[in-house]
Amino acid sequence: MSKKVLIIGLDAAPPELVFEAFYEDLPNLRYLMENGVYARMRSTHPPITIPAWMVMVTGKSMGKLGLYGFRHRRPGTYNDIWIAHSLAVKEKTVWDILGECKKQVVVIGVPPTYPPKPVNGQLISCFITPTTEKDYTYPKELKREIQEKVGEYLIDVVFRTEQKDRLLEQLYEMTEKRFKVIEYLMTHKPWDFLIFVEIGVDRIQHAFWKFFDKQHHLYQAGNQYENAVKEYYEFLDEKIGKLLRLTDSDTVIIVVSDHGAKRMKGAFCINEWLITKGYLTLKKKPENAVSLEKAEVNWSKTKAWGWGGYHARIFFNVRGREPQGVIEPENFDSFRKQLIEEIRAIRGPNGEPWDTEVYTPEEIYPNGKGDYPDLTVYLDDLSWRSAGTIGHNMLYLPENDKGPDDAVHSHHGIFILYDPNKKIGKKIPDISILDVAPTVLKIMGLSVPSDMEGHIVKEAFT
Amino acid sequence: MTESEKTTKRKKFTTISIPTPLFKKVKERIKGTGFTSVSSYVTYVLREIVAEKEEEEEPFTKEDEERVKARLRALGYID
Repeated sequence: MSKKVLIIGLDAAPPELVFEAFYEDLPNLRYLMENGVYARMRSTHPPITIPAWMVMVTGKSMGKLGLYGFRHRRPGTYNDIWIAHSLAVKEKTVWDILGECKKQVVVIGVPPTYPPKPVNGQLISCFITPTTEKDYTYPKELKREIQEKVGEYLIDVVFRTEQKDRLLEQLYEMTEKRFKVIEYLMTHKPWDFLIFVEIGVDRIQHAFWKFFDKQHHLYQAGNQYENAVKEYYEFLDEKIGKLLRLTDSDTVIIVVSDHGAKRMKGAFCINEWLITKGYLTLKKKPENAVSLEKAEVNWSKTKAWGWGGYHARIFFNVRGREPQGVIEPENFDSFRKQLIEEIRAIRGPNGEPWDTEVYTPEEIYPNGKGDYPDLTVYLDDLSWRSAGTIGHNMLYLPENDKGPDDAVHSHHGIFILYDPNKKIGKKIPDISILDVAPTVLKIMGLSVPSDMEGHIVKEAFT
Repeated sequence: MTESEKTTKRKKFTTISIPTPLFKKVKERIKGTGFTSVSSYVTYVLREIVAEKEEEEEPFTKEDEERVKARLRALGYID
């Protein structure tokens, strides 16, 4: 009898919460860990939702996919970007491979799956979907079935708001509806492989981390949202328990996250810093904080500029490559080396040393294709996010520059694998996000394509 | 027009029917413009619409892309 696989994707769920802090309060996830194998899972460079999920489901690295984030700079431009979407993914996903082998699949909310591409089964796209007025399902008629089942399907919530009660309502409504749809598809459509991603985990962590983490610089004891994150996890665990009861003994359960999360210490204004260093020159200083796109940059006197986000990206203004490039190609390497040293030497607001990592494309994307940045930077090991805006008149912001955000990303997500026919119950050494796809194919009795870059998680088959 | 020219013309063009009042309206509209016939004007308009449709097959329309960018900005993924 061939096995089926159910993948439960919890966007940004960190091992520190699932394996430790909330372990006792999540009976269903704990059951999977106590009887299966589980490990910390090393995410992509950088650890961010797009491309991490696609790396996981294709078993191909970011360089091979040519997918480096939500946005990519159009080559030869300063401010022109393209947004990641499903058509940019040219490598086969596990569900493509399984579909070719006549296995039936259900795919829900895996970023980026908009616009929906045909699958051998059902697909609901992810939060890249512009609105639910668009066709966000394959086949198209599935959208009508979803509407009949749950009314308006919520693809995402916007978490950067001070209206916390309203946000909580939306989060629960979104997750409730998503699980209703999952249950419906599990029971009404044939499937051998089902994967879904619940983005609510990431959203609630960003919005409510400071309320429970006593180490957070904005934590206030006795606040009314102290249990908001934990209660959401408990709610999720209960929903997961319901799904588990719908599976049979031939279904292997895998629980994964694309990256982890941790408290944010603050935001560092990367472009302001480049200005103080003389690498970025403005024609006019903005009166209020504005994005680089809206600032008046003197490109002919600018050597480098940066992007904000949970990590920083740095681009160089190279003669012959950028429209008003100033770095001579022969000086590229020496300038890069110097800038790397200077970024590594950045200290915190109180002069404390930071554990900053700086990567060149050759280091993290060997033979990478497409539009990657010249440098990828993790400020203080990602504890400080990067603010791209200019005009703050300071380098360090205690809060995010664009609305409240309490958490940043971390390098390790979670991996739990439970086979109902085996009783293992073991924490195993860290695995890589690249190991998921080959492991799924092995479980389902398919051979692993030689160009998949990860390894089968052997401990799951002992 | 020779017979072979007629054949070529037959192969490259075809006839479609539109309501006479619409034909008259279009005829009025193109007076004084560079369009020499109702057919050339209708062809031009249809090409525009078909091209628009083809653009829609890109992942995002312009409007959608702005919408997604605004959401990603609100989510903190882009500046």
